[in-house]
Amino acid sequence: MCDQTFLAIVFGPCDKCSKEKPLRAIYIKSEQLNYCSLCVEMMATEGLHENETLASLKSEADSLKGRLEEERAKLHDVELHQVAERVEALGQFVMKTRRTLKGHGNKVLCMDWCKDKRRIVSSSQDGKVIVWDSFTTNKEHAVTMPCTWVMACAYAPSGCAIACGGLDNKCSVYPLTFDKNENMAAKKKSVAMHTNYLSACSFTNSDMQILTASGDGTCALWDVESGQLLQSFHGHGADVLCLDLAPSETGNTFVSGGCDKKAMVWDMRSGQCIQSFETHESDINSVRYYPSGDAFASGSDDATCRLYDLRADREVAIYSKESIIFGASSVDFSLSGRLLFGGYNDYTINVWDVLKGSRVSILFGHENRVSTLRVSPDGTAFCSGSWDHTLRIWA
Amino acid sequence: MLGKAASCNHTSQGRRAVEQLRTEARLERMKVSKAACELLQYCRVHAQSDPLLTGVPASANPFKDKKTCSIL
Repeated sequence: MCDQTFLAIVFGPCDKCSKEKPLRAIYIKSEQLNYCSLCVEMMATEGLHENETLASLKSEADSLKGRLEEERAKLHDVELHQVAERVEALGQFVMKTRRTLKGHGNKVLCMDWCKDKRRIVSSSQDGKVIVWDSFTTNKEHAVTMPCTWVMACAYAPSGCAIACGGLDNKCSVYPLTFDKNENMAAKKKSVAMHTNYLSACSFTNSDMQILTASGDGTCALWDVESGQLLQSFHGHGADVLCLDLAPSETGNTFVSGGCDKKAMVWDMRSGQCIQSFETHESDINSVRYYPSGDAFASGSDDATCRLYDLRADREVAIYSKESIIFGASSVDFSLSGRLLFGGYNDYTINVWDVLKGSRVSILFGHENRVSTLRVSPDGTAFCSGSWDHTLRIWA
Repeated sequence: MLGKAASCNHTSQGRRAVEQLRTEARLERMKVSKAACELLQYCRVHAQSDPLLTGVPASANPFKDKKTCSIL
């Protein structure tokens, strides 16, 4: 499902000929203009080059796609796990649940760590967003959103605010205050507005900008203070389900994954799609950059996780087993990038050796789907959230 | 009228798709062998500072419960 599922007729002055007519909204370089239908047709026919028909464009697109595949295949001289044969195998891993955070009344949908490596924000289907101290398991803040299914939440880099959103199609920012007399909901600021549900959000390097992904098929960058749209990213053919920002050293890009089975890498300043990857066989639920920023992993409903290298411009590893038939909902790397943690819909967490492609451990504990998973900022532990209403800290 | 306007949309969509593919085709790519080596290199360099990989003793990890002292 893309942006528009209905057409609203607006009547007014045309931006081109100034006559009062029914208007169509058109987009030129992400800018919206309102032209009357006559000007739309004139403009479209003006732009048509000789012999450029829909059919010729399609065949050019197909031949370009073929060329892209050829170029990518030329450089595919070896598999990652072959190069990794000389690397030492990993030993046995003993990871256990060290803390269980109980308090949500319904499915936990999303969580994020604070940069202080201790606090966690989580959101749930019942509309509650809770900030926890993971060391003590105490709840420090709680707010009830006006909508259910709060699918996205994020901690601000300063640790002074959180952002969240879901079925309300918005992303709202709540400043965190320790003043017992202040009502958190009162200081709420609506920042992002989409035309469908909010699936993911993330602050950029500062508290001032937020990146959002939505069921309306777009991603967008917003200024928190003014709520202004700074850049929008169009290209996905269906709902965008996840996004991740590149580690700050590697520059202004981010990766998004969607129901169109594509993972796309975007330039944040220009709004352009730089690279796209389409090897998954189903919705991509989660994307996460490799710590160096040169690659990213994805988790999908096709029960596999995959690693894509950005400089080789191709998929370089698949993490799958015949016995794993349920989708992966959430993935994250350990600090060195050697381990990939995947939360799955069969209630388990699989730990993969990123380089060798083998599974090193399987963690049981949750009593329903694992919906979200993040490694802590200092890499000492990771947190998983589940439809069983709890969050678990593993180390 | 609506039919013509719809086909105009498809043409501009098609043109955009071709432009996007042209941009992607121009990308400079690295051989997988070289890219894989760099991934390996990164893992090796940072392995020691990865607590979940190397395992840290209970005293260093705030989530692991410290053993209680027993007085003999």
